[in-house]
Amino acid sequence: MPSQTFFEDLSEGQEIPSLRKEVSSVNILMYVASVWLMDRIHFDHPFATKRRGLPDVVAPGNMGGDYYAQLLSELAGETGQVKRMSFQFRNFMLAGDVLDVGGKVVKKSISDGKGLVELELWIKNRNGVNCVPGKGVVALPLRARS
Amino acid sequence: MGSLLEELGWTKYVGKETGTYTGEPVMARDIRRYALAIDDPDPIYRDRDAARRSKHGGIVAPLFYVTWAVGVPGAEKSTKELGEDGLATFVGIPEVPNVWDLGWVRGGEELEFFERVRVNDRVTVKGKIVEMKEKDGKSGKLVFVTSEFVYTNQDGKTLATHRLTMIGTPRKESRHA
Repeated sequence: MPSQTFFEDLSEGQEIPSLRKEVSSVNILMYVASVWLMDRIHFDHPFATKRRGLPDVVAPGNMGGDYYAQLLSELAGETGQVKRMSFQFRNFMLAGDVLDVGGKVVKKSISDGKGLVELELWIKNRNGVNCVPGKGVVALPLRARS
Repeated sequence: MGSLLEELGWTKYVGKETGTYTGEPVMARDIRRYALAIDDPDPIYRDRDAARRSKHGGIVAPLFYVTWAVGVPGAEKSTKELGEDGLATFVGIPEVPNVWDLGWVRGGEELEFFERVRVNDRVTVKGKIVEMKEKDGKSGKLVFVTSEFVYTNQDGKTLATHRLTMIGTPRKESRHA
């Protein structure tokens, strides 16, 4: 089991451990099938490219939400808690993209005995484009007890 | 050029509540497959023993799954009833007349999390349209419709709140072309 991150372990400006996600057409198909999101742009290559002018089939932007959820859940660990997250869909994630899912601490505060860490988040494709810019807030346990 | 929202007659729907929808019991299989799709290896999504030992005490769903846990009201239609793009509808498409005169994409989302979705939960979603705006885009008018949803479980516990902005653009051709 990975060790727990405590509030005091992070400082403002620090990057958190990132995730590398390869979003293949199989992942996309698994996702849209599991949630019944049957939009052809996600699995029908001729439709996505010829009818919609996309470079390839595309992932639902929501998968970016799932990637952030995993990033923040791993940061929270067993005793922390993911409180909030938000994101904007700016660019499509294409089938076959290799994505760097990461974040940076922008603010730390203590509220009700819990350490709150606010983060700026990114999902960057191999061209360095942030496809789904986001923000998150995670509550982390305090090492020091006052 | 006049206001697109006025032409559509939609501004009176701001503040209007959506229907209330309750999903079928969440299955361990749904959670497991969803976690596979997003390549999340956390054993709490598939391994009963690991999940029982964790803070959750049992299998739970990945955080974002809550937005899918109701199923998608109105999405399960036969292929004959689907639009050319394959879609029937999805959560966030505003419940307004002639909504499919526009093509829709997701703009952005905000979520606050309280409790996880667990196996056998029956999740209820209820929401309302909170804002409508329009802007001039490069290829015509864009409509921004923001809705807020609350997800609760069968015990009435709030699982999450969700604010979602959809962006609509007038279609050049019928959806059933």
